[in-house]
Amino acid sequence: MSAKRPDPLLRAEGITAGYGGVPVIQDVSLSVGPGEIVAIIGPNGAGKSTLLKALVGILRVTSGRIMLGDQEVTNRRPEELARRGVGYVPQVQDIFEPMTVLENLEMGGYLLPAATIRARVPEVVEVFPALKPMLKRRADKLSGGERKMLAIARVLMLDPKVLILDEPTANLAPQLADKLLREQVNGLGALGKAVLLVEQRARAALEIAAYTSVLVSGSIRMEGQPGELLDRQDFEELFLGAATSLSSASSSEANKV
Amino acid sequence: MSLIVAAFGFGLVSMSIIAISAVGFTMQFGITNMINLAYGQVMIASAYAAYAVNNAGVSIWLALPVGAVFGAVFSFLLNRLIYAPFQRKGTNLIGMVIISLAVSLVIANVMLPIVGYYSVSYHQNPGTTYHLGSIALTGAQLAIIAVAVVVMLAIYALLRFTRLGKAMRATAANPTLARNCGIPTARVVDLAWLITGALCGVAGTVAGMNSDSFSVASGSEFLIPIIAASILGGAGSPYGAMIGAVLIGEMTEISAAIISPEYKQVVAFAVLVLVMVLRPQGLLAKRGALAAAG
Repeated sequence: MSAKRPDPLLRAEGITAGYGGVPVIQDVSLSVGPGEIVAIIGPNGAGKSTLLKALVGILRVTSGRIMLGDQEVTNRRPEELARRGVGYVPQVQDIFEPMTVLENLEMGGYLLPAATIRARVPEVVEVFPALKPMLKRRADKLSGGERKMLAIARVLMLDPKVLILDEPTANLAPQLADKLLREQVNGLGALGKAVLLVEQRARAALEIAAYTSVLVSGSIRMEGQPGELLDRQDFEELFLGAATSLSSASSSEANKV
Repeated sequence: MSLIVAAFGFGLVSMSIIAISAVGFTMQFGITNMINLAYGQVMIASAYAAYAVNNAGVSIWLALPVGAVFGAVFSFLLNRLIYAPFQRKGTNLIGMVIISLAVSLVIANVMLPIVGYYSVSYHQNPGTTYHLGSIALTGAQLAIIAVAVVVMLAIYALLRFTRLGKAMRATAANPTLARNCGIPTARVVDLAWLITGALCGVAGTVAGMNSDSFSVASGSEFLIPIIAASILGGAGSPYGAMIGAVLIGEMTEISAAIISPEYKQVVAFAVLVLVMVLRPQGLLAKRGALAAAG
């Protein structure tokens, strides 16, 4: 029996977006509610990052609408969405590399008064204790895992209601990637954040997600709770090809779909 | 030898003027990705704005803020009305350089019928001459050095300690991410043009003060050592520009003493070419040079 999903906080209704007038995602609908982790999985080139960029105002939505609570926020500027509580961690260029860890956190809290930023930094660092001894270090000196922690910590400075994470485990060692997903990202849902997660590590994403959408060639082809999806014969066929398992997925295999 | 020491003293003044202007020039590039070849012409327009006030009987030191404000407003409008619309359309860096060159020519040719073809000079009292060994500097020249020191410290404090300065560095490093953090990058860029334009205005006025005279044609002469210092230090790096200014300022003055003052610009260009060959990234540059200026 399906568990009831929370009321949506962020909702995309039939959105289409792309580059230079060429749509990459078409008629995509999805939603995420407080305390819920929604995973978007799919092969490389499916349009996952494009979808997230459209949701956070970096790419123009040409049709459909995006609702934040009961307010329409379609094509609002990224800085306005940040002010309204939408945090975004891009897949690459996710930190201000030439600045220190502390300065990255300060920029994450740019919209807060100075005194609040000073109070907020220790709170956020408590979520990622590994960052504490390296506040004065330049961000481009961090390891891959530390860098991702900083990227998420930076977004948490504004205490966003919605967190949009684009492949937070990209370029991380498998063990570190699993740890980041199971402990840190999962923990964000426990904090009551609405988490929209694009993830190539499908098995790990399905383990922490309450709901999953499968995006293929710019359209949602399948969605449901992870258990329901895993029970479907066509799930692996659609996403990976029947001969491969989810955990051993590689992008080249994924492209066979 | 005493001639070279004396030239070193003049170099202190030259480096001060180049430092003020090169820091503004390189910050414009670092934050807005704009190599503004009209910078020298804005400097000279600002120098004329200060001249208009000075010529009405006001001390040049009181006219200096007028030059700064003129440079700030002029630069801000240049960006808002000309550069930004082209950048929004996706004009590439080379295209923007050519546009700024065109702007420079337009400014010069619009100024000519207004201010005339002839050189002018400020009404100023150079003050007492102070001697230190073979170095002889007037009170006005020492004041120019003091202005440069104050400006450099102010820029350091801005970038290192203030919210606006850090937002400028964040915008320089990654404008899209800056917007995702809620930083109003358009406003940050506007303020960057105002601040760097003010530096341009101050530099133009003090350059006029340190010259026997200046004319519309002086704009392009100003630009060469500025570009040389900026590239020498590393494009986009304000601290690099300061170091570049020290080297270019001293090398041009000392070479003037050794060779001939007519070869000042040649030396600046030669240094520029040498740096491009040996260390194209400049002395301090790395990716996000302005953002690293904390």
